[in-house]
Amino acid sequence: MTTVTSEDQPLPLSVIMPVGNRYASDIAALYAEYKAGLAALEMPYEFIVVLDGPRPEVAASLQRLLARGESLIVISLTKRFGEATALMAGFQRASGRIIVTAPAYHQVQGAEIGKLVRGLDKADLVIGRRWPRVGSRFEVMRRNLFHSLIAAGGQRFNDLGCGARAMKRRVLEEISLYGDQHRFLPVLANRQGFRILEIDLAQSPLDRYESGYPVREYVHRVLDILTVFFLVRFTKKPLRFFGMVGATTFVIGAVLVTWLAIDRLVFLHPLADRPALLLSSLLVVLGMQLFALGLLGELIIFTHARDIKDYQVDEVIRYPEGAVTGGRAGAAQLDTSDTSRSRVA
Amino acid sequence: MTPELSIVVPLYNEEDSLRPLYEAITRAVAPLGISFEIVFVDDGSRDGTVSIADEIARSDPRVCLVKFRRNYGQTPAMAAGIAQASGDVIVTMDGDLQNDPADIGALLSKIDAGNDIVVGWRFDRQDKLVSRKIPSRIANALIAKVTGVPIKDNGCSLKAYRATLIKKIPLYSEMHRFIPAMASIAGPKIAEIKVQHHARQFGKSKYGLSRIYKVLLDLMVIKTVASFTARPMLWFGMLSVPMLVGAALAFACTVVQFASSGTLSLPIAGSGVIFLSSAIILMGSGALGELVYKLGDMREHEFSGLTQHIRVRSLIIQ
Repeated sequence: MTTVTSEDQPLPLSVIMPVGNRYASDIAALYAEYKAGLAALEMPYEFIVVLDGPRPEVAASLQRLLARGESLIVISLTKRFGEATALMAGFQRASGRIIVTAPAYHQVQGAEIGKLVRGLDKADLVIGRRWPRVGSRFEVMRRNLFHSLIAAGGQRFNDLGCGARAMKRRVLEEISLYGDQHRFLPVLANRQGFRILEIDLAQSPLDRYESGYPVREYVHRVLDILTVFFLVRFTKKPLRFFGMVGATTFVIGAVLVTWLAIDRLVFLHPLADRPALLLSSLLVVLGMQLFALGLLGELIIFTHARDIKDYQVDEVIRYPEGAVTGGRAGAAQLDTSDTSRSRVA
Repeated sequence: MTPELSIVVPLYNEEDSLRPLYEAITRAVAPLGISFEIVFVDDGSRDGTVSIADEIARSDPRVCLVKFRRNYGQTPAMAAGIAQASGDVIVTMDGDLQNDPADIGALLSKIDAGNDIVVGWRFDRQDKLVSRKIPSRIANALIAKVTGVPIKDNGCSLKAYRATLIKKIPLYSEMHRFIPAMASIAGPKIAEIKVQHHARQFGKSKYGLSRIYKVLLDLMVIKTVASFTARPMLWFGMLSVPMLVGAALAFACTVVQFASSGTLSLPIAGSGVIFLSSAIILMGSGALGELVYKLGDMREHEFSGLTQHIRVRSLIIQ
């Protein structure tokens, strides 16, 4: 696969299109749509396509585009790492001050993509929402449930599945995504204190919801929610989570055991045939195990505390001597962005 | 040129007290005749704090403002301020005027006398008795007992540290209350002096009783982390010893019973199994802990070098 590089100067805009399991059969048409949408912005940009694993079909059509003289950057990952990893791989190559992510299949109408970039005046991250949107009643319900579960952690979003997003470079610099976390970029960004705006985009007529995902997909989504919940709430305080759950389990078990012991010793009820004994002792062991897990987590945090930063500095303002009179024009802001990256939200 | 003293002040919605505070600090520190800087950390305030701090910074090059994008809490604010501070000695204080900057001189002279950490003790505390003072008293007694660092007032923000020491201490979660306890891993010399405490003039208190359970869990973390950091295997192993004894007893009992009467007592055999499995879980955790510690970057030897370095140094204050 050839890689065509554009000029090596910072561009205002980089568009990244991660190609995962699901992609449009006619990548060329999709690209043309985006191209038209981006042209309306009248900004120079680069278009990066990241192939998440070998995708010979897509590679072939990209090859044709390149042969036609389109300026594309194509990155192929050796195997499938997940869409978020592909996105980050594209980001490492991107030089734009604004990053736009474009879904690799017809989700929104390509012409609408400029709207996202314009929304960046008011926010750090602009996410698209397919609206009005088609879908069966069950599908609408499932979406609502998913989004209200996520909303329990803060801001409510309406279409996390929409891959069309625009963000300032800092957002991706400060958040590290991996695996399939791309869906939760807005949640993690919200956690870091970025301003987020949701914009309605017209859904592409080709965005057909395939009736029913495989069950595995639903299980993955639920686990994803758990991961994000844990990442957002408890990463820095494992003992708060494990300790609370563990202590509760332990106490319930201990109370049961005590009661059984009294029952046996004072009231002389035989113990051997009581399932409660099994239950209570298992609870005690489980509680201990959870607590030990929490302590291990704390040890990990403690020994790595210096890499894991709890906070993000927006800017450091210090006016040097001499520039102290008058307005802001004479002021120098040192260190305006603290670019050191934090591991997690 | 790096200043000799950095004063770190976390701010959260303190627009009324900020300017008086700044004036009080400069008034108190100027006569000491040392170079200093003030690091304000804005913890995502939603009032005029940032613009006032910006004005102050513009009129005084010794003032620096670290801005957070949102509210993260007092510990991250302290940590950011400490990371930004460049002085040899770092003094932290609250932004609500309840601490008196006039006490900074006394803190510094204690540091000069060879202490690594000097903490303020609000002996005449001006707060509500039931919701603030009594819980605080209990918490402090507990912290002192558990961590073995006998400080009467952990909650007082007015503290002075040698920069080399405090910059090495990991500060996260809500650890600012436990900095001396946390720092005790490094074996510093800690002193406590009485400081003034004023009633709150502006705004309202930002803490309530809800933090008690967090304090308790954090305390447990510090205790365990501080006591087992270097040898998790030993620590978890000690916990598993009683379990092993219990398991051995239960099995012995079962064997004797089986040999004499030919029947098993299910509860006794079962509890033996449970004791044994608990012991194994604990020991496994210890082994994992050992691995984590080995791969981590927070080891004791780092602190031992640090402490020796500090002991031979002395700050000169006229």
